[in-house]
Amino acid sequence: MKEQEMRTEAYSEESYPPMPTKTTLFWRRFWPWQVIRWIVLNIKILRIVVGGHS
Amino acid sequence: MAKILVLGAGISGHTASTWLKKKLGKKHDVIVVAPTMHYHWIPSNIWIGVGRMTPDQVKFRLENRYKKSGIIFKQAKAVSIHPEGNEKSDRGYVTIEYTGQDKIGETETVEYDFLINATGPQLKFDATEGLGPGKNTVSVCSFSHAAEAWEKLKESIERMEKGEKQKFIIGTGHPGATCQGAAFEYILNVHYEIAKRKLEHLAEFKWLTNEYEVGDFGMGGAYIKRGGYITSTKTFAESFLKERNIGWIKRAGVKKVEPGKIFYELLDGTEHEETFDFSMLIPAFSGPGMKAYNKKGEDITSVLFAPNGFMKVDADYTKKPFEEWKASDWPSTYQNPDYKNIFAAGIAFAPPHPISKPMFSPNGTGIFPAPPRTGMPSGVIGKVIADNIIDWIKKGDDSLKHKASMARMGAACIVSAGFGHFKGAAATMTVFPIVQDWEKYPTYGRDLRYTVGEAGLAGHWLKWFMHYMFLHKAKGYPFWWLLPE
Ligand SMILES: Cc1cc2nc3c(=O)[nH]c(=O)nc-3n(C[C@H](O)[C@H](O)[C@H](O)COP(=O)(O)OP(=O)(O)OC[C@H]3O[C@@H](n4cnc5c(N)ncnc54)[C@H](O)[C@@H]3O)c2cc1C
Repeated sequence: MKEQEMRTEAYSEESYPPMPTKTTLFWRRFWPWQVIRWIVLNIKILRIVVGGHS
Repeated sequence: MAKILVLGAGISGHTASTWLKKKLGKKHDVIVVAPTMHYHWIPSNIWIGVGRMTPDQVKFRLENRYKKSGIIFKQAKAVSIHPEGNEKSDRGYVTIEYTGQDKIGETETVEYDFLINATGPQLKFDATEGLGPGKNTVSVCSFSHAAEAWEKLKESIERMEKGEKQKFIIGTGHPGATCQGAAFEYILNVHYEIAKRKLEHLAEFKWLTNEYEVGDFGMGGAYIKRGGYITSTKTFAESFLKERNIGWIKRAGVKKVEPGKIFYELLDGTEHEETFDFSMLIPAFSGPGMKAYNKKGEDITSVLFAPNGFMKVDADYTKKPFEEWKASDWPSTYQNPDYKNIFAAGIAFAPPHPISKPMFSPNGTGIFPAPPRTGMPSGVIGKVIADNIIDWIKKGDDSLKHKASMARMGAACIVSAGFGHFKGAAATMTVFPIVQDWEKYPTYGRDLRYTVGEAGLAGHWLKWFMHYMFLHKAKGYPFWWLLPE
């Protein structure tokens, strides 16, 4: 939904959380960066799997 | 020759039985009892529920898989456990009732030397009046439920295409329900499908939850490093909803659902109603309701099982205030304290206490999520129990060296939020450990290096990767044993 269509009423619950900026959204979809994040997340998950049982 | 009986062929039971057979070979019998003929990769139900996958893409027949590897499969449900045997024999046995294999309704007794109970959760739709498939809401907890959810969702989409407004309420359908992650994933996917069809202006979305704060996920929330701050998953989850213009109702215990109307109580004791056109609400879970009897035939169900029907294991079940619970209360070998040859894997074991703080309304209604036990710990627990039984049988070593406590184990919950290689999105959440260890990590309860909350395509790829990887593993395709739990 476009930002101007989304009305934010102050003091409502929904008015407190942060909204991603265009740049943040860009990085979330910029695939070369996401490939790196994919590798990082895989490593983290693998480490918690391996470290979680003996 | 030892006989190992595994009840259940879900993530935990299937992992245990396939490892046992691989390592014990032909010399010992591994028997699996499960009421359904299919293995089913439950996390991908979400994609069935939005019409992106068919049930056939997430399941396969167990009989063929087990025949190939030499596991004996009985399509039946376990009805009662007799750990001391009966007057004729001291050997433990389980009474089963067939649900397939041309023997529907027939009963049989199956003896065992070792028993693994991996029966998962029973979906207790009945605990909330009017809840569930065939009644007033849909579910994504099984592939058939998810397929029905898609049929209903399609109707709503068709209505919107004709210009009608629709209200979607998704979340938890009982004051003590858990599995918030699955419902959260579903609401994001439903939103994605509607936005993709450019129908957002006709849709109103609400996340309805028993969490004290959005982002609690039944694990007391988590802290993550983000944008130069250490922030709570409340901020992370709320931001995800806000970004999509999804509103929320929190601290809500659903009491009743009528056609198009949900009745709920808030933690402040007030009663409310909310209308809807489409609603997916997760039910309460319990154990499968198996009974247990001693040698004399006396009912010992309460010895083997906790009141919620989950099996007692090596946890500290002493009643104590929330603030006094410790990471060390959580089990690590999943052995039943009274019957040493019985183990409970995955969701089937009774957790010692909730991870989210118990909260009660002035009317005495407990409105807080039960502890979630996701796929990753379920697989690991199945493997650890199998390894201990293998040592016991092969080396005579009953010291249960292999351990996996949820207070020393991590979990990854990947909430997909779209579809397509470059169009998908996801929120990846990893926590380590699952149950906070305030002694080891006094500030945040968890290790922040491995407790992550991140949005982006990478998580979406991970979810895809897991779908194919775990189905490959479950099917026993080449080198399956190299893939981690
Ligand atoms: C929609 C959805 C999405 C999810 N997404 C994720 C995710 O992204 N990541 C994640 O980690 N987890 C996820 N989970 C949770 C995950 O699916 C569970 O943690 C996991 O399936 C639990 O494994 P289990 O083996 O204990 O139980 P199950 O997988 O439920 O298996 C239980 C088995 O026991 C059998 N059984 C039942 N009663 C009996 C009986 N009386 N006798 C014999 N057998 C019986 C059942 O037929 C089944 O074979 C999701 C859950 C849902 C519902």
